[in-house]
Amino acid sequence: MDGAVKQSVAQAENPGSTFERLGLGVGLRNSHFDHILKAWPEVDWFEAISENFMDSGGRPRWVLDQIKERYPIVLHGVSMSIGSTDPLDRAYLAKLKALADDVKARWVSDHLCWTGIMGLNSHDLLPLMLTEEALTHVAARVRIVQDVLERPLVLENPSSYVQFQQSTISEPDFLRALCDQTGCKLLLDVNNVYVTCFNAGTSTDDYMKAFPFEHVVQMHLAGHQHCGTHIVDTHDGPVCDEVWQLFRAAWQKTGGASPLLEWDGDVPEFDRVHAEVLRARAYIDGIDPVEAVATRSRTSAATSTPVDFMVPNVMGDSRMQTL
Amino acid sequence: MTTATLPDMQRWMMEALIAPGRVDGASVAGTFKPGAHIDAAACLGIYQRSYILRLRQCLIEQFPATAHALGQDLFCDFADEYLRSCPSDSYTLYELGRRFAGWISDNRPDKDLPESERESWIDFMIDLATYERALFHLFDAPGHEGKPWPDGQEADAELTLLPSLVLGHYRFPVAWYYHEVRAGKSPAHPGPASQYVAVVRRDFQTTTYPLSPFHHRFLMAVQQLGSIDAALEDLAAWSQRPLEDVRNSWRTDVRQGWIDAGFFIRRGDA
Repeated sequence: MDGAVKQSVAQAENPGSTFERLGLGVGLRNSHFDHILKAWPEVDWFEAISENFMDSGGRPRWVLDQIKERYPIVLHGVSMSIGSTDPLDRAYLAKLKALADDVKARWVSDHLCWTGIMGLNSHDLLPLMLTEEALTHVAARVRIVQDVLERPLVLENPSSYVQFQQSTISEPDFLRALCDQTGCKLLLDVNNVYVTCFNAGTSTDDYMKAFPFEHVVQMHLAGHQHCGTHIVDTHDGPVCDEVWQLFRAAWQKTGGASPLLEWDGDVPEFDRVHAEVLRARAYIDGIDPVEAVATRSRTSAATSTPVDFMVPNVMGDSRMQTL
Repeated sequence: MTTATLPDMQRWMMEALIAPGRVDGASVAGTFKPGAHIDAAACLGIYQRSYILRLRQCLIEQFPATAHALGQDLFCDFADEYLRSCPSDSYTLYELGRRFAGWISDNRPDKDLPESERESWIDFMIDLATYERALFHLFDAPGHEGKPWPDGQEADAELTLLPSLVLGHYRFPVAWYYHEVRAGKSPAHPGPASQYVAVVRRDFQTTTYPLSPFHHRFLMAVQQLGSIDAALEDLAAWSQRPLEDVRNSWRTDVRQGWIDAGFFIRRGDA
């Protein structure tokens, strides 16, 4: 762990969590595998997408097995669908548990969302209608998941583009109640807070005042695309100043939760991604932030929840040969 | 949709993603509040638009040569219709393209015509997509890495086919086309020509080996009968050649090369 961050973490108050303070982490991406195995960069920890590795019998799993020997690993899922009214996928949970045990995952996270119903998967993090009915439903499922995984589940606040007419509970209050009822923990994505509040026309200050920081063990940072009338959570660029300011305000309140940068669209070389998360040092230590490194222009349309970064470049590892 | 239960709302929204045209404005306004700067339908539209863009891009990544062959616009049309007809039913994106080749085959516009009157370029797309799916699956399938490989000193009875070995027979030279695209070229659509291949992953490198029809049949027989000896006898009977000739051809022409390429493993190491 970086010395300055370690010191700051030690100084931060942490009300009662036993989760490790891992330092500054980077989301593990296929396009960086070769660089990581060659350079073994000085990264504090990696977050791996659970679904990319739980069925893998090929190189991705082999790479993760090398990485887990040198770095702490956290598993981050996108398909648990904790809010769906479909039955929980027990086979999925069993595979997730096996993977978490095998890579000695420091914790396992997913999103407060649903991804599909009727056996279908949208591969999106769809918004949950926040009602007492939903709270009872999700709390029951979180308990089952935690029983299977034999560890607390960590849930992330998603980016949202809609607000339900029928919702009766704010997202911070919903998450607080969920933590109180189940003992689950939280992954606070400050970019998602910014996106959700802008799209809804609500105040980030109000959101942050109500947020149960005492349950936060991890934080996410990411870039987004501002489309004028709305913001799309694209994870395809550097973190904007407004989100850094939210991070600055939130990090101390979490007691030193572990920050991680997600960069999923137009993924640049590893060092550029790593440099972006290292900018968090300045906001943690309250000093002048390091100037942002130049980033190439975006090439993709504003698509929420990009997932194509999870598809491996199979063509690159294929050849044709005669005997 | 003003007093929907959680399951009602989720069914409605899932259908709104897969078939956006079926959602009426009143139900959208009854379900969602307007955003800060856009109305409720535009808010839902962000999910609807991203749903198709996101999954379409994944299909392009999984079928790069098919996308090249069809061209970006036509491939996207195919992908959009496929995603409407066969929405993902798995937690993993790796399964997204599982039914793609079959879907093209089932939905080809000339499917009611006699085979001789059908468009050959569609056959090419079906075979190319089938080949690409096989490569994609093999990339992350359980393999033999980390275990010992035979060196050729083993008796035939000790050898068994690599469980993940793929044997393919295509109506077009799809493997050639695929690797031309991989090399950054823009090959023309090839004419019909049978192509037999074995696809093997060794040390996480996936390699396609063209085969003769004779060798393809032999490896198919090994796969089905579970024994090299039984496959040699089957091949001799089928080709009406003396068994000793066939056995000699196996030993001198292909055995060591195929072992070195990773077609076989020792039975005890499976």
